Amino acid sequence: MNRQQRQAALALARKILPPDEFERAVSMEVNDAGFGYDAFGLEKETTVLALAVLRYVYKYWFRVESHGAEHVPSKGRALIVPNHSGVVPIDGVMIAVDLANRMKKPRIARAMVDNFAGFLPYVNVFFNRVGSVIGARRNFSDLLEQDELVVVFPEGTKGVGKPFSRRYNLVRFNVGFIELALRHRAPIIPTAVIGAEEQAPLLFNIRPIARMLGFPYFPVTPFFPLLGPLGAIPLPVKYHIFYGPPIELFHEYGPETLDDLEKVRMLADRVQMVVQDMIIKGLDQRKSVFGFGE
Amino acid sequence: MPNRDQKFNVLITGVSTSIGRHLASHLCDDKRVGVVLGVARDEKPYYFNDLPSDRFIYRACDILKYRELNNLFLSRTFKEAQINAVVHLAFKTRISHAEDVHELNVNGTKALLERCIATQTIQKFIFKSSNTVYKLRPHNPVFMDENSDLNFDTDVDQWIKDRVDADMICRSFMDNKHMNIVILRMSNIIGRSVGGQFNAYFDSPVIFKPMGFNPLINLLHMKDVIQAIRLAVFKRGAHGIFNIAGQDTAPITTIAELARSRVVSLPEPVLPLVNWVQRKMGMTTYYYSVDRERQKYTALMDIGKAERELGYKPTGRVEF
Repeated sequence: MNRQQRQAALALARKILPPDEFERAVSMEVNDAGFGYDAFGLEKETTVLALAVLRYVYKYWFRVESHGAEHVPSKGRALIVPNHSGVVPIDGVMIAVDLANRMKKPRIARAMVDNFAGFLPYVNVFFNRVGSVIGARRNFSDLLEQDELVVVFPEGTKGVGKPFSRRYNLVRFNVGFIELALRHRAPIIPTAVIGAEEQAPLLFNIRPIARMLGFPYFPVTPFFPLLGPLGAIPLPVKYHIFYGPPIELFHEYGPETLDDLEKVRMLADRVQMVVQDMIIKGLDQRKSVFGFGE
Repeated sequence: MPNRDQKFNVLITGVSTSIGRHLASHLCDDKRVGVVLGVARDEKPYYFNDLPSDRFIYRACDILKYRELNNLFLSRTFKEAQINAVVHLAFKTRISHAEDVHELNVNGTKALLERCIATQTIQKFIFKSSNTVYKLRPHNPVFMDENSDLNFDTDVDQWIKDRVDADMICRSFMDNKHMNIVILRMSNIIGRSVGGQFNAYFDSPVIFKPMGFNPLINLLHMKDVIQAIRLAVFKRGAHGIFNIAGQDTAPITTIAELARSRVVSLPEPVLPLVNWVQRKMGMTTYYYSVDRERQKYTALMDIGKAERELGYKPTGRVEF
């Protein structure tokens, strides 16, 4: 965006947000590499405007409730490790909005997104400007070295594209996040997102179409593709986000652990179990899927 | 390497280019340098008359012609100059691409390199390469280090193939015991009379880019180009490949705005034709085919190695 567009974006965000929330959003820090962008393409004004608009989705569509935001460090590197689901990966967006709203000192959460986002026109630019980064190992390392708060979904696209019948059963975590958490001495914040798994019940995945379009999956839900683009709008389920106490594996396991693949695998499974437990507890506490009367 | 009291005597090929001219002038001002021998195809350009004649020697030589290259290395001028470092800048831009340009860019580099090794007195060979050698994909990491994949695709522009070939030729001689080879992979150099791709791109009053993409690019100031080459020449024992980039990093549209160019986004398949028409109408000297991927995907240069091993620190700011 040029200077006028940036000012316009901030002016619009100021109109949308209550004054105190606008001030909070603007206070978020960006490692400006010059010209108003960080090295990964994040632009503060776009992020503030996106947060302002998405706040409505957060507040009125998904009516997000969250618990344990105090576990997320207000500075320094950290990994948010949640479950991933819902066909349309809105869970990451809701975590980002939630952290901007609930943390004492708000931070921009940097979500690692799948490779296919890189070649989608407009989507790639938007993702970059709001802080998302392609999930390459090097990017992950660089973000942690810059002391950023990184959201990583170790289930990958398999998690988002899992069938409705497998909801809240985690797909086995990839191990990459453990490797990087140990290498960069970053705490892991286990996170459970309850609600997203019901927002778009996936009945089938039409693999040939997905392959043809270069997407990781092509979903068939009760509403999509039957109702066209409208069918892609997620159901107004109620979201509950739980952040657990940080897991600081680097105290127990030194860099030599990285040579032991079995141990790394075991640690990934350990974090997965913590997230799975949090999901089970979260489901027990939940009164209903849509939570309209609550 | 020259011992501490010995001066650096430097041969620059392609000295009549913008970079060559600046470099020659800077080296002539440096007390560590004894003689600068500038080589280019044409007769001595007028602007070299300003340089001190006892420190700067110009010689016309086509490095593609075996006899001319041989004569240069056997000449009294060369012998008296006691050259111990060579900076190879004679690499034609995409604008002047033709059959002989491929020869110069690839075979010329090889012939020069072999001749330098044969002298056994030249201890350093510096080759100015470019970031176009890297392969860009949608899932690239944002920062590319020196070990990133090179672009060996068969369908890329011939000029990129030449860049990659020349880079590989220099790499293949890197285990030579007598001569340290330094490859400087530079990002997009922006400056007056520099013949770079992005320089030509942002010079145009209207620039076309693919719809839905706006990658970040690194710009490099001439000051930093000279700094990097000088460090490569003077740093004792320096050898290997180094990425060189400047301080300025921004999306294409932001740079276009600074350059006061109007940006028009078009569907990607239309761009080669539009670029061809623009060139035919004399509106630009930019070749879209070279930067097809660079206009879509961000790939910034990781200069960590150059900072650590050469002491390189970008200081220049690009002005439009």
